[in-house]
Amino acid sequence: MIDPLIDILTYPPIQRAAIACVLCGASCSLLSVFVVLMKMPLIGVSMSHAAFAGAVLGTLAGINPFLSGFVVCLLAAGVLGPLSDRTDLAPENMLGILFSFLMGIAFLGMGILTRTKAGVLNLMWGSLLTLSRFDVTILAVVTGVLVLFVAVFFKEIRAVLFNRRLARASGVPERMIYYALLFLTGAVVSSNLATVGGLLIFALLVQPGATALQLTYDMKHFFLISAASGVGACASGLVISYIFDLPSGASVVLTATVIFAAAYVFSPKRRRARLKERNRII
Amino acid sequence: MNEQLIALDRVTVRKTRTVLLDSVSLAVARGELVGIIGPNGAGKTTLLNVIAGFERFEGVLSLFGRPETHRRSRESRLRVGYIPQSFPVDPSFPILAVEAVMTGAIGRTGLFRSPGRRQKEEAMALMETMRLSHLAARPLGQLSGGERQKVSLARAILQRPDILLMDEPTANLDIAVQKEVLDLVDEIHRKEALTVLFVTHDFTMLPVAMGRAVLLDHGRMLFDGDIDTALSGETLTRLFRYPLETFRQKGRRFISYD
Ligand SMILES: Nc1ncnc2c1ncn2[C@@H]1O[C@H](COP(=O)(O)OP(=O)(O)OP(=O)(O)O)[C@@H](O)[C@H]1O
Ligand SMILES: [Mg+2]
Repeated sequence: MIDPLIDILTYPPIQRAAIACVLCGASCSLLSVFVVLMKMPLIGVSMSHAAFAGAVLGTLAGINPFLSGFVVCLLAAGVLGPLSDRTDLAPENMLGILFSFLMGIAFLGMGILTRTKAGVLNLMWGSLLTLSRFDVTILAVVTGVLVLFVAVFFKEIRAVLFNRRLARASGVPERMIYYALLFLTGAVVSSNLATVGGLLIFALLVQPGATALQLTYDMKHFFLISAASGVGACASGLVISYIFDLPSGASVVLTATVIFAAAYVFSPKRRRARLKERNRII
Repeated sequence: MNEQLIALDRVTVRKTRTVLLDSVSLAVARGELVGIIGPNGAGKTTLLNVIAGFERFEGVLSLFGRPETHRRSRESRLRVGYIPQSFPVDPSFPILAVEAVMTGAIGRTGLFRSPGRRQKEEAMALMETMRLSHLAARPLGQLSGGERQKVSLARAILQRPDILLMDEPTANLDIAVQKEVLDLVDEIHRKEALTVLFVTHDFTMLPVAMGRAVLLDHGRMLFDGDIDTALSGETLTRLFRYPLETFRQKGRRFISYD
């Protein structure tokens, strides 16, 4: 089974798919650390909807869908950032309104685009095997920037994830970090429309971080475990999809779910908490 | 030594129709430990947030003789330590107590510099002097309210501020732990020559060094002066609109009501 797999890696589309798969896993799973620890899954959803709507509009207008998706993401970030600073408004409601609005726009665009629906459907589910060189390059650049950001500002990021207000009180440029994160969320989501698509990406924005949350109290390990589980899910998902001839996006997401379930069941953190509870009762 | 570190001149905070702080003026000199006392909803947290730079306001606020708004430079933030009323941390959040303490020093370290081993040693040494070493390696989210409050205090101290703002640091703690936290506050006030604003609505358990109190109600300042007058039955009755009497025994203040 191994030999044909290695053989197949000599074909350029497969090579691209393999590289994109690792990049997709790495970028989404690093981002998922923020999504999970800052408790902002709704921001993740809204961003992926924004990217999707932007990409559909871009296809309508004949613009590169990554670019238009990214621009709409930035607009959404511009709305979401200040919104999350306000305390007198429940941001959940606004986010709900925002992302259903974006979904409406996307479907409107899809209605108009009846003839090229296949291309638009790819934006929803992604297609690792039909990636262009441009898609992979963009994804590589975005992943590189994200990795650099996490490595360079690790201590500031830890402080901001811990508590935004305390970080600001201690002179950490909290807003800069937060807006950079929103910006990077937009970039990661829109560059991954081509790989796993606007619907499935949400799973990869939550599951790797949620997996790490089951396993460690160390922030550095948290990033590493998250990245490993994301890349692992993407790589094994791709292989499974190739072997059994399944849609790649779906098999990646399902693999990620299986990894999370395993982490949840075997979580040493949960086991310790359970032990404590039992001792307390005795 | 009479340098004014904090000066508010007719500071007002408004939120859609309601007035949270109504033309408050206050001057605090270096080294003072001032109590901000008032019932729930009096505006105590709002006042601290103005001084900490988390709240927009009208009027003039000067820190270290310079006017400030809610936008601050890194340098001026570093000089003001802040201990919030409460902050939620998930039990499984990946941060240990000592790492949480270290976040106090991050602004001081600056961007693009690695905190290195020195900062961890510094944090450990501080926790040692505050008798918190046993908590250092515990996940922060799993500490009790009192333990977390002490870690929060250590975090603010590691920042090495000149001013320390404390928002009800003893709320929800049992009496023994309240006493421990108060002793820590007194100790820190003395050792680090800090200027402290201490918010509370409890006036039986106060730091010993608190010589002055400001009474707030409905966003207005009712009283500013020495602590004994502030906590007399007459003033407190006015503040809480309820007949109250206070008496002292062995240097402690007690309160009686019908
Ligand atoms: N964003 C807001 N919009 C409108 N009113 C607010 C807002 N935040 C606080 N308030 C109101 O302002 C008043 C002062 O609030 P503040 O938090 O400063 O009180 P506090 O003295 O700290 O009370 P506590 O002892 O309960 O902590 C309260 O009546 C509160 O309901
Ligand atoms: Mg308060």
